[in-house]
Amino acid sequence: MSRQRLVSILVVAAVAMATGFVVAGQVKVQLLTPSNQVARYQALVRSVQDLEATNADSRRSIAALRAQIDALEAAAAQRSAATQDLQSQVADLRAHAGLTRLHGPGVEIQLVNGVAGPDQGVQTGYLVNFQDVQDITNLLFAQGAEGVSVNGRRITPLSAFSGSADQIVIDQGPPISSPIKVLAVGDRNRMEAALNDPSAVPDIRARQVQFQLGLTFGGSPDLALPAYDSSLEVPHVVTG
Amino acid sequence: MSSRVRPRASRRAIGIWVIALLVAVVATIQVRSQAEVVRSLVGTDTTSLAFLIDDLHRANDALDAEKTALSQRQATLASGTGTAADQVLSEEANRLRAAEGLVPVHGPGVVLVVNAAGLQALDLQDALNNLAVGGAEAIAVNDHRVVLGVPIEQTPSGVNIQGALVPPPWTIAAIGDANRLAQAADLMTQQMRADRRVRQATYRVEPDLAIRAVVNARPFVYGVGP
Repeated sequence: MSRQRLVSILVVAAVAMATGFVVAGQVKVQLLTPSNQVARYQALVRSVQDLEATNADSRRSIAALRAQIDALEAAAAQRSAATQDLQSQVADLRAHAGLTRLHGPGVEIQLVNGVAGPDQGVQTGYLVNFQDVQDITNLLFAQGAEGVSVNGRRITPLSAFSGSADQIVIDQGPPISSPIKVLAVGDRNRMEAALNDPSAVPDIRARQVQFQLGLTFGGSPDLALPAYDSSLEVPHVVTG
Repeated sequence: MSSRVRPRASRRAIGIWVIALLVAVVATIQVRSQAEVVRSLVGTDTTSLAFLIDDLHRANDALDAEKTALSQRQATLASGTGTAADQVLSEEANRLRAAEGLVPVHGPGVVLVVNAAGLQALDLQDALNNLAVGGAEAIAVNDHRVVLGVPIEQTPSGVNIQGALVPPPWTIAAIGDANRLAQAADLMTQQMRADRRVRQATYRVEPDLAIRAVVNARPFVYGVGP
């Protein structure tokens, strides 16, 4: 074997070894990191699922406790006129707070995600967001709604809307997303007229044109709203 | 001559095929790994998930507190005395009147002052919702009590709250957890100051803030109870 040939074999071996190290480094950095990302992400998803299950259990327990309290109050009211009067006041207050079921004429509104534009990048204008739900709810109350629910979650005087992108969080409930169904009991004609007004909810109207965001509604002679099933405590407020 | 070249050429070809195969395997694993990440991250990024977990923890804590309070009320009612029932009902009535804005209240909180030209009803609704998310339990704007359901409307003259014109500057009083409300107010005023329409956006924390204004109760006309 000539010396020149030996040198060329050594050069090829050195290059192959260097390539091997580079490939190994690349594999370590770019294969392991994504797999760690997936594991971390899955752990976060599992945490969310566990917390949502706990959340649902708690809300079921609260609904059951409220039903038991109602029954005990009704029994106590039968023993005293004063208690009966108090119970009647509390029943009226609970109805206005959304703590009891409500039915009557009203409107049903559907909000559905639109279509992402081809060059939208990270823009989320095609998604139904919490501000859309907030705007629709405020519009309905301003037009005489006496009770509103969003995807089965009753709105109360202290309700708050939050979330990111298409995740909508109402009070202490789990996040919801499109399609969103809003039910409102109240003056059906007034609410329908407001929803037909092209100047109402301008942001949603603009995104209907730009992203085909879906906003449809219709009146109904009898809609049923569920009772609120979360916390309505006001621990920092003192009356008087 | 040719019989000595062919085996060397075939060995070279096998070597190239092996290397190509290894490259293909590594590339496939890489592409699949990245695709798995992309697929699993669709819709929600990890930061949003972390915020969601934080929100759910807070929500579940609030639900636990509600369960405890309801269990205590149930136990008191189950004791069977009329006095106990009256006490539970009176406390519940007071709590609900406060939540619905029907009685004057006081407690710790924040006061925001916002002076701006051209702010709309939607801006005020957003501000009030931000405070509600921050744990506000009672809110008033320029001495007009506000709860969700009180109409806030845009008119040619300006912003109306339950039919009354409320011109800027807006003084927004919110009672609740002062620490959480201060965080919310801090973020809100920072954002407002970035808005060219806003001349002033400040807040202060108050250890005992009084809200005297109340909401006018609206009896149900259309809605029927269970």
